[in-house]
Amino acid sequence: MDTAGVNQVRLHVLRTAMDGHGVPSASQTATALGIGEEQAVEGYRQLAEGHVYVLEPGDPTRLRMANPFSAVPTAHEVKARGKTFFGNCIWDACGIVSLLGGTGEVRTQCPDCGDPMTLAMADRKLIRKEGVVHFSVPSAHLWDDIIFT
Amino acid sequence: MLLFRSEEHVERSGTPAGAFMSADQIWGLADAWYHDRDDPQWRRRNLEESQKVFDDLGLKGDFWNLG
Repeated sequence: MDTAGVNQVRLHVLRTAMDGHGVPSASQTATALGIGEEQAVEGYRQLAEGHVYVLEPGDPTRLRMANPFSAVPTAHEVKARGKTFFGNCIWDACGIVSLLGGTGEVRTQCPDCGDPMTLAMADRKLIRKEGVVHFSVPSAHLWDDIIFT
Repeated sequence: MLLFRSEEHVERSGTPAGAFMSADQIWGLADAWYHDRDDPQWRRRNLEESQKVFDDLGLKGDFWNLG
């Protein structure tokens, strides 16, 4: 698949997630774009290889992450545009708010005490903040095991 | 990357050592990283461009070195 085709797949996946319809399977992407499923799978493979998205382990027809969106529920819930989304981590959850215009909330829990915690943004400004963000993995190794990261 | 109540809660949880950033920094990082992701012309940043995003947020030192 050429670069333009991969970009078309990238944008379809992202915009589907942005619209609140979740991360589409390769079959759904193929139908929407009028391409063969094997082409959509190839697009997903190239996007994963380029560290743009992340494949579901053991299933090349599905994405686990269409960054910043998670295809599965996580502890990082996002409320924006009247819809609910899930981020892969606190970075990506904030990224969903950014991508959706810069107004929204990220809700999570302290992994230690379980206390609910919220970050809120309006017009690209952080208007409610609490806590500290912890990175376990040095930046140079973020993609070594991205699902763990 | 997880949001904890405080650094003490990170230590208490037994989470492996790493590094911290503030809520302002994570929002700045996320906004810089993702705001234009739906632009058809978007392309992945190269190493230098990515490092500049970290540097501009004051995230400097070995832990934040992408190279």
